[in-house]
Amino acid sequence: MKQLLEKWGKGIGIYLALMIVFPFVMPDEYYRSVGIIIGLHAIVTIGLCLLMGLAGQISLGQAAFWGLGAYTSAVLTTKYGLSPFVGLVASAIVPGLFAFLLGRAIAGLQGYYLAMATLAFGYIVQIGITEWEPVTGGASGMISIPQVPFFGDSELSMYYLIWAIVTCVLVFSLNLMHSRVGRAFRAIHKSEIAATSMGVDVRKFKLNAFVVSGMFAGISGGLYAHYMGILDPQPFGLHESIKFLTMVVIGGMTSIWGALIGTVLIGFISEGLILLSEVIPGLQGDVDTIVFGGILVLIVMFMPEGLVPRIRSAYEKAQAKKAKETAAKTQSGERVERKAAT
Amino acid sequence: MTTLLEVQELSRDFGGVRAVNQVNFQVQEGEILALIGPNGAGKSTVLNMVSGVIPPSEGEIRFQGRPMARVPGYEYAGMGITRTFQNLQTFDDMTVLENVMVGMHTKTRASLFACGMSLGSAKREEKMMEQKAHAWLGLVGLASESRQLAGSLPYGKLRLMEIARAMVAEPKLLLLDEPAAGLNHTETAEMSRMFCDIRDSGTAILLVEHDMDMIMTIADRIVVLDQGTKIAEGTPREIQENPRVIAAYLGTEEE
Repeated sequence: MKQLLEKWGKGIGIYLALMIVFPFVMPDEYYRSVGIIIGLHAIVTIGLCLLMGLAGQISLGQAAFWGLGAYTSAVLTTKYGLSPFVGLVASAIVPGLFAFLLGRAIAGLQGYYLAMATLAFGYIVQIGITEWEPVTGGASGMISIPQVPFFGDSELSMYYLIWAIVTCVLVFSLNLMHSRVGRAFRAIHKSEIAATSMGVDVRKFKLNAFVVSGMFAGISGGLYAHYMGILDPQPFGLHESIKFLTMVVIGGMTSIWGALIGTVLIGFISEGLILLSEVIPGLQGDVDTIVFGGILVLIVMFMPEGLVPRIRSAYEKAQAKKAKETAAKTQSGERVERKAAT
Repeated sequence: MTTLLEVQELSRDFGGVRAVNQVNFQVQEGEILALIGPNGAGKSTVLNMVSGVIPPSEGEIRFQGRPMARVPGYEYAGMGITRTFQNLQTFDDMTVLENVMVGMHTKTRASLFACGMSLGSAKREEKMMEQKAHAWLGLVGLASESRQLAGSLPYGKLRLMEIARAMVAEPKLLLLDEPAAGLNHTETAEMSRMFCDIRDSGTAILLVEHDMDMIMTIADRIVVLDQGTKIAEGTPREIQENPRVIAAYLGTEEE
């Protein structure tokens, strides 16, 4: 704990405080469920941040890994009667395996081609889930997926379970970022030639990034299935993938904290829009898609580095300015003293 | 003295243009070999082939007797060949220290899981990397800039950072692609001294450079390329007096 504070300063302290206090500030079951969904999204976006922000590999199919995780755990527990804990472990492994196979197939691709390949993967998975009716229930989906024992009893305990996992994923990712593996990711992002000449096996590390991000998305999917209790293929398509992408980009792709903050922001904006739609009658349907699209365009135009890196650099500039001013003040102060002495 | 790098009949075509034509040379252990020639002579292409960035069209490269044709590019650093780049390849959004720590990649083993969990083994490696990277930043004179983002450093300092990043892997052969480009006289002189220290500590250097002062003071031997072909090889004194070299640089009267 002390170590954590030393490493990441006040950030982790503020995060823990807000996270723990939130369900009591908003002691409404509804807001707790909002907190749970935001937490589930955050697990996906932190993984996506490792893949996209650190290793520089775009994925337009992240919701597919989310869906694979959800259905893996749902099928294993509902059809085969396994414990949800076993299901959750499988919900990390199966999407990880898919990510490994996908990564192996497309690790040589870059830019647009990678975007297209992951987009296609997303579609294939969603269609596959819809069509494999005997197992997945097809378009009508699955019902009565068991809850996570003990934690599933109330929104509050589920909230803490999910945010405990978010915290683990967050700490894991922050550790990773400041390690040889994270630096290898970032090196690949900037220059594959330079990374290779330093001994980084570019294909292997891209594959690693794919697998980790796929596993994180899978765990979140598994938790989602058990929390909701029902599943259908609809939320696991391109729309959701783009939403994850927007969350990461708004917060700042190169920052793990950015992914988390972007997710929370988008989560609250979503809720705000729902509240607004109750007041303004015309505001119905897919308004959130338009708003998120607009936000994405504005961010890319005016703040391409994202929120957190922007705030950080502004803060550093202010600190530097302050340091300069105090230095100037002490200097002029010395001059005055010297004058007084003479 | 034993041969470290052996280049035989090395050629490279770029879409019908022969950039390098049947070049032969060797780098001995503990020497600085300079590769010079007018613009477009194929020096950087040779360096790119020797460092595994591009494959040769024909010919063979042997490092410590081992043919390098089938060795993937990322294994070069671990075998003891590292390099700097003519047009800098720095990781701008990392600190100077982190840039140099990337150079230690082959010296460390921690897995993704160990790094994410911050296990003891990963932490020990991290500490070791930091110490070595600091030591090299001190040697190249960037100790006070170690916490700054690489993107905020001026050109000359980035060149020094690239050298530290290449040296921290403790290579047997260091490949330098125009390290003195864009540096002033004093900086070049300091850099020359540093290269001599590196050679004396046991790392051989293959140097591509335009700065003749630097080459004539530090090179043990020089290979001269002109239009992809080797036209001369010898000590700095021999090269200075070689009529073919003078013709290549200044042009002959018949032309």
